[in-house]
Amino acid sequence: MNVKPLLEIRHLSHTYETKRRRVEALRDINLEVRAGEFMSLVGPSGCGKTTLLRIINGLTPHSEGSVVLDGVELRGVSRDMGFVFQDINLLPWRSVVRNVEIGLEARGLGARERRRQALNALRLVGLEEEAEAPPYTLSGGMQQRVGVARALAVEPKVLLMDEPFGHLDNFTRESLQIEISKLCTELGMTVVFVTHDVDEAIFLSDRIALFHSSPGRLARIIDVDLPRPRWQFNVRAHPLAIRLRELIVSELDVRRGLAI
Amino acid sequence: MAAIVAFLGAWQLSGLFLNPIFLSTPLAILRAFLEIVADGTLVRAFLGSLEEMVLGLAAATLLGFGLGILMGRSRLAQRTFEPFVNFFNATPTIALLPLMEIWFGTDIRARVAFIVIICVWTLVINALSGVRNVSRGYADVGIAFGLDPFARTWKIFVPAAMPYLIAGMRVALAQATVGMVLGGQEVGESGLGGLTERYGSFFETDHLIAAIISSTALALLLFGMLRICQYRLFPWITATAAERR
Repeated sequence: MNVKPLLEIRHLSHTYETKRRRVEALRDINLEVRAGEFMSLVGPSGCGKTTLLRIINGLTPHSEGSVVLDGVELRGVSRDMGFVFQDINLLPWRSVVRNVEIGLEARGLGARERRRQALNALRLVGLEEEAEAPPYTLSGGMQQRVGVARALAVEPKVLLMDEPFGHLDNFTRESLQIEISKLCTELGMTVVFVTHDVDEAIFLSDRIALFHSSPGRLARIIDVDLPRPRWQFNVRAHPLAIRLRELIVSELDVRRGLAI
Repeated sequence: MAAIVAFLGAWQLSGLFLNPIFLSTPLAILRAFLEIVADGTLVRAFLGSLEEMVLGLAAATLLGFGLGILMGRSRLAQRTFEPFVNFFNATPTIALLPLMEIWFGTDIRARVAFIVIICVWTLVINALSGVRNVSRGYADVGIAFGLDPFARTWKIFVPAAMPYLIAGMRVALAQATVGMVLGGQEVGESGLGGLTERYGSFFETDHLIAAIISSTALALLLFGMLRICQYRLFPWITATAAERR
């Protein structure tokens, strides 16, 4: 395994003020993500995992510490990352392929080159046929595949996914998990994936970063040494997966009412 | 449909009892209508008014949306212009008609300027609230994928605000119609407004009502065109309306 981290989060803290109080969202987070690794951030709601993902991308400015990609400290929004939103957020006034093109427009590519890369990205998620369709005519699962294509189209060094399957039904979620797992393995993509679904995290991840809340802090990092490819066997029934699940659930201490 | 026929029938019968100067009757109005169509009076007035409406609305849309979008995207612009917008929006703009005459003379320029001044504030306010109400998620897409603020305005905020912009145009269109009639009555007696003024002062009620109905028809024509534009250019507004609700 590649030891050199692609993405480093160093002493990152984030506090923000509301009208009534100061909120400490994240306290002294230190995290390294290796190239080609699939890392999940897991924790109870309000543990700051989504905030951390937004900070990594530059969507939310942070108070202290640094995010370093490939040895360079990031300032503002990174051009080397693709973001997949929980709410998908496809623009309804654009066709599917024009949605996928949006990040390429910001990168100053010509129309022809944009179209070519966008269609490539759509092919990766199996939606090339839907290129000209308005996004609202697609099912939720297909819409999120467009969301993934939009993020992949910019050829990111890191793919950031914020509970991307959170709003989907169980069947769609499971098939998308398999698809994402295949796709990221194929592309050797480095992924930071936020979820509160422990099984999802075990199925997808190489490592899982567990977070505690109030303030959001990193509890521990767990290696998921399950064999790959994982869609070829029942991961949930695998003895190691069961042990990991126990470990994670007890670490997050569900019994004290901190829902995962 | 039956209700309309019954209404027209009752109206026609009322002519047996009422002085025609007071209300006239549907058949008399139809006769008057055909007469002023045939001699070209109505067509000329209709086209003149249509021209003023199109010019006035186009200018008001450009100015109003431009200012509203600027205010929606820039705190500084909002703080600078908001007091003026609120002031003029609260001013009964009808009172500004004489001022338009003083500034622009007693011809089409004053009438178009009056149409602009009567409906532009609605457009500013709608554009401003449209831009301000763009969902955080759409705004995030623009930021996360690296669009600069200008590109975000054009590619995210303006299209996302489109339902507000179109709602604003619908209100502005009604206001502009009032402005068109009033301008025609008061400034150089022209267009459909001028016809209502002339027929009114000669107590030609049948012609007067024909001119009023023509003004309504002009507004409906523009409403229809606006609706067609919306369906053609922005089909997603209707298609996603249920979702947004």
